[in-house]
Amino acid sequence: MHIHPHMKMSDLVKADFELLAVLQRLKIPFGFKDKSIQTVCREEGIDLNFFLNLAKWFHERDFFPGETLMNHPVKWLVKYLRSTHSCYIDYQIPRIESEIIQIENTDQASSKNMQLMLKFFREYISEFTAHIQLEEEKIFPYILELEENLEKEKPDPEFLGKARGYTIRDFLDEHSDIEEKLTDLRNILLKYLDPPSNNCMFTNILIEIFRLGKDLNDHTILEENVLIPQVIKLEEQFHQKFPEG
Amino acid sequence: MAKVLIAETSYLVRRGLINLLEHTEGVTEIKAEGHPETIMQTLKEFSPDILLLNSAITLPVNHDELLSRLHDNARIIYIINTPLPQDSPNHQISIFDTKNQLSEKIAYHLQQYRDRREEKEETEELTPREKLILKHVALGLTNKEIAAKLFISTHTVISHRKNITRKLDIKTVSGLTVYAILNGIIKMEDIS
Repeated sequence: MHIHPHMKMSDLVKADFELLAVLQRLKIPFGFKDKSIQTVCREEGIDLNFFLNLAKWFHERDFFPGETLMNHPVKWLVKYLRSTHSCYIDYQIPRIESEIIQIENTDQASSKNMQLMLKFFREYISEFTAHIQLEEEKIFPYILELEENLEKEKPDPEFLGKARGYTIRDFLDEHSDIEEKLTDLRNILLKYLDPPSNNCMFTNILIEIFRLGKDLNDHTILEENVLIPQVIKLEEQFHQKFPEG
Repeated sequence: MAKVLIAETSYLVRRGLINLLEHTEGVTEIKAEGHPETIMQTLKEFSPDILLLNSAITLPVNHDELLSRLHDNARIIYIINTPLPQDSPNHQISIFDTKNQLSEKIAYHLQQYRDRREEKEETEELTPREKLILKHVALGLTNKEIAAKLFISTHTVISHRKNITRKLDIKTVSGLTVYAILNGIIKMEDIS
C-alpha cells in the first residue's frame, strides 16, 4: 500500500490495523467518516508529514525513519513517546499481569508455575517503571527545555547551568535494555512451561507479550535512532549559539 | 545454505521468485538481474550456488562456457515461459507452476547445500557442569563467587554462562532463576 495524504483515514486503518497504535498515540479520535488523512491531521493539529513518516515506517518497515523523522520538532516525538509510555503502564502491562493472575486462580495444576511467572513479571514491571520514570521525569523535560531555550535570545540561567554539565550521550550509555527480561519471559512460556489447561488464555498472554516486545523494540528504535541523535544535534547548536565564558 | 541468482527479464516473475526464495529455508542470499550483461557481471562477482535462468534469455556465452563460469558445485535451474508437463525434470520450472511445485523443485536443489552442522539437531541439553553453574547463578552468586567456589577461573564461568544462555535462550539472571526452579535445579524456597 502506498500511503498518501488524500487516502481516507479509515482505508488506511482497514489496510493495516496495526496502525491503530500510531493513531492512538497521536491521540487521533476515531469517527473519521470519509475524511482523508490530510483533513484528519489538519483538524487534530498534527503535522501531515510527521504523521505520514510515522505511518509509513510502521507499515513498510524497510525504510529507516531516522532522517525523515529528525526534521520535525523534537517535542512532537516526545509527545508521541509519552503517550506510548502511558499506553504501556496504564493498559498493556496491567492487562498481561491480570491475565497471569487469572490463570493462576483458575488452573490448579499450573498455579505454582504461574505464581513464579507472576513474580518474574512483577520484577519486570518495577524495572520497566523505573526506566520510564527516568525518561518522564528527567530526560524528556531536559529535551523540551533544550529545544525551548535554543529558540530564546538568552537561555534561562538555571537551564544553562544544567546544560553545561550534561549531555544526552550520558543517558544513551545508561539506556538499559528493557526488552531483555520480557524476551526471557516469552521464551520461558514458549519453550519451558507445561501449557496450562486454559490454553486459549495462555496463548493470548503469549500473543500480548510478543506484541508488547515488538512495540518496545519500535520504541527503542525511535528513541535511540531518532530522538537521541536529534537531541545531540540540538545540543551542538545550543553550545554554538551560547558558547561558554 | 545457498546463494541464489535469479536471471529473469520479467519484473513480475523476478519479484515473485524473490518473494518465494525469501521464505525458503536454506537460502542465504538472493540477487536478481534482468539484463544479459548484468547477469554475467553478477555471476562473476556473486558466484551463486544456484542460477535460476530464464531459458529465453540469450547470454553472450554458450551453455558449456556458462557452466565453466560457475563454481563446481553450482547448478542451473531453467525458468520456462510455457507450461510444463507433470513429470518435468527438477531443473526446469515454469512461470505457470503453482507455489507448491516451485517450492518442491527448489527445495530439491537446496538439499545438497544444507549445512552439515544443521543436520544434527542442536542439543539444548545442559551438561552437568553447566547445570551446576546455573544452580549457583540462580542462587544469586556472582561470577567471581562461583569461580572461587568451584576452583575455576572467572573466565571459565563466563564461558559456561554464555553457553547456558545460548542453549536456553534466556539472558537475564531472573530468567535463569525461573528456569532453574521450573526444572527442579533449585527450589522456590532457596531464593525467597
